[in-house]
Amino acid sequence: MNATGIPLKQPSVSAAAGDAEQLERALIDASTRLPVLMFYTSAMAWLILGTLLAGFVSFKLHSPDMFSDISFLTWGRVRPAHMNVMVYGWASMAGIGTAIWLMARLSRTVLRYPLLLVAGAGFWNLGVLLGVGGILLGDSTGYPWLEFPRYAAIILFVAYTLVVSWAVLMFRFRRGEQIYITQWYLLGAFLWFPWLYAAGQLMLFVVPVQGVLQSAVGWWYANNLLFLWFGAIGLGTAYYMIPKVIGRPVYSYHLAAIGFWSYALFSSWTGMQRLVDGPFPAWMITASIAATILTIIPVATVGLNHHMTMQGYFPLMHYSPTLRFTVFGAMSYTVFSLVGVLISLRSVARYVNFTQASIAYSHLGLYAFFTMVIFGSMYYIVPRLIGSEWRYASLIKLHFWSSAYGIGLMTLMLLAGGFLQGANMENPSLAFSESTETVLPYLRGRSLAGLLLTVSHFIFAYHFGLMLLGLGRKSTVPTFLNPVEAEGPEGHL
Amino acid sequence: MKGLAPLFLGIFGTFAFSWVGLTVIPNWQIGHLNPQSDEEGTDIYPMPQSGMVARGARVYAANGCIYCHSQQVRADYAADDIERKWGERRSAPRDYIFERPVFLGKMRMGQDIANVGARAPAEQESPLPVGAATSATSPPQQGGAPVPSPAPGGASPSPPPPSAGSPALASSPATSPANAGSPPPGAPSPGATASPSPAGSPATSHLPAASPATSPPARWSPSPNAPPVSPSPSAAAATPGGTTSVSSGASAGGAPWPVQTSGEPPMYSAAWHHVHLFSPRSINIDSDMPSYRFLYRARRISDAPSADALHLTGSDAPPEGWEVVPTFDAKCLVAYLMSLNQSHPLKEVRSAAPAAASPAPSPAPGK
Repeated sequence: MNATGIPLKQPSVSAAAGDAEQLERALIDASTRLPVLMFYTSAMAWLILGTLLAGFVSFKLHSPDMFSDISFLTWGRVRPAHMNVMVYGWASMAGIGTAIWLMARLSRTVLRYPLLLVAGAGFWNLGVLLGVGGILLGDSTGYPWLEFPRYAAIILFVAYTLVVSWAVLMFRFRRGEQIYITQWYLLGAFLWFPWLYAAGQLMLFVVPVQGVLQSAVGWWYANNLLFLWFGAIGLGTAYYMIPKVIGRPVYSYHLAAIGFWSYALFSSWTGMQRLVDGPFPAWMITASIAATILTIIPVATVGLNHHMTMQGYFPLMHYSPTLRFTVFGAMSYTVFSLVGVLISLRSVARYVNFTQASIAYSHLGLYAFFTMVIFGSMYYIVPRLIGSEWRYASLIKLHFWSSAYGIGLMTLMLLAGGFLQGANMENPSLAFSESTETVLPYLRGRSLAGLLLTVSHFIFAYHFGLMLLGLGRKSTVPTFLNPVEAEGPEGHL
Repeated sequence: MKGLAPLFLGIFGTFAFSWVGLTVIPNWQIGHLNPQSDEEGTDIYPMPQSGMVARGARVYAANGCIYCHSQQVRADYAADDIERKWGERRSAPRDYIFERPVFLGKMRMGQDIANVGARAPAEQESPLPVGAATSATSPPQQGGAPVPSPAPGGASPSPPPPSAGSPALASSPATSPANAGSPPPGAPSPGATASPSPAGSPATSHLPAASPATSPPARWSPSPNAPPVSPSPSAAAATPGGTTSVSSGASAGGAPWPVQTSGEPPMYSAAWHHVHLFSPRSINIDSDMPSYRFLYRARRISDAPSADALHLTGSDAPPEGWEVVPTFDAKCLVAYLMSLNQSHPLKEVRSAAPAAASPAPSPAPGK
């Protein structure tokens, strides 16, 4: 027990852990099997659908006359459909799956009330399905990130209520007094999301606010969704996976506490910087810019904490898929935040506010950070649910590299294209069309990056499907990316 | 952390702090604005949307226009939006009080359209001449024609090619001689309102509307030769909806809003919007805008051609005996676009026009 009352050893698992503990863990894992796999499988299906939609969006941007007779294939409908599938279908469901497993493990109790979760997954899928169908049929609300029509939003909210009531119940049944840092983040995410979603729906649809405030509420929602929902789950997962895999406690709990509270405080105040120079009182935007800059504090503490935890253990990334994905994601979190600070500065935002750079920012947060962390956690969790190991190390490697290169290339293309686009747009001696023409080659590059990501997702889906069908490797040793030499890492990768 | 209570309180407190700070307080500050009016209670701005406009806004939302078009003009010290002629002043919260949903937008793969309705020629309602629609099947003859050569005598020195530079005609440059001498008999109003003298064309010919084949040198340069010509009264009268564009175009030599290309309906008129939505690349060859053909119907002309029929040329033209007409959604969408107009002055916003443009007073009221 240190000063803050947080145990220092919680996540570490020594190889010499007693049989009882191993057995207990296996029981907990088994109890989470059905709900977590339901969420994971649904998420994978949405990921594939979202990937196909993304490809369509990306290519249609350079051949805009394609399918112009078909209303539900118009670019302006497929794009929000893609985004919502990824945000609510893939990322949210995969995140919930990981969060469920982490909650059960960290509460050290078998999963109770699985029906709540099963029903939650069902309703969630129904909500996303209706929402995406609604968007394609022309029912989009027109608010970015909240395009789902109301009938879908209500169903999603019901689904969410089921999940969050389960989470609170589980938290009550937890054993032991200690609350690990991951649980802070997960509890935060589980509580923040419904408030956030309810506040957004309420202020936009039930008792709508006037005029431009709708945009303010919309971006407040979108940014908080990114930080308080996806960010919190992603960081919480990284706080669990990194120490777990390398078998070493988190470097400093003081830093973790500082990181958590400064994160909650500052990142929740961001969002308005996306409306920079818009028709708003300047203080709103300035407050968000200041908050964005202040997020450097949680970024630095979290980054430092992870780095110090990993110190000396980086070579393990050579073997462990989980660690490789998670560390990539955690590093991307730093990049994501720094890019966020950069493009929020007024002098920069003047150029990039209305460009592809903001798309790059969203992709950095949702993909390079969150999705990669979730991929990592799935590589850790799924074998424990299925009872067999990932079949092909080569597929995992392919998945990692095509994902990493894909998202890296995509971010670079969108950022570079966005800056050039903005520079041309802010040069009134150039025709406006110069700015869009400038960005087109970068969008082609983005399409190429999208192809890489498509490859990676299909590989992962195939591999995941093999696991589901029971075709995994029966072994007591996890699948390492590379053959382990002599003393190698311990068996809990 | 001593217990659960601080954790819960902290999680709730940080969220509530952000919610109050970024949504509740702004709502208290600017969430209950009223339209402004002058002392007599007249000249009310903004006005509530009409039914068609409101429905058009839903079409706008449904088809994702917001993902490429913003609807906000930033202040002159913050950005060059005003210099790009996207508006005469910055947008203010009061401009949007009747909009729901509000489409501020976050991306400009297309132009800002906060003022696209203000750029329309005043007589945009006047329907296209019926003859234009039917004769659209013979683009080489009709396409380049509507330039009213009789109008401005002073415009003659400027080169005729830009008027023939409509991308729709890019494949048939030979039409330019034809249109010089043959104004179509049936096209008085579009020609008078919106095809400004060819003199206006060089000033804007760097816009992609001009075909590179016809005016390559002027395309990307802001045409130093424009200022002496364009202040001609005929040009000023030619764009009644965009008075400042003319005056500032004269002084800055930059592009006013895209100028009429021949063979098309008047720029930013309702008819132009329909053609642009149906076939963006017939108007601007470099456009990345998707075409929204699903908002239009091709039908056989029964007895007389419809007044709504689109004025299409080239490969977009329907076969003989057919016409393309907008659906009701398309009409609503265009009504919505035509309603986008923030040119009315607001008391709380300083109009940037006098500083940026020539001191010539603009006829806009209440300056």
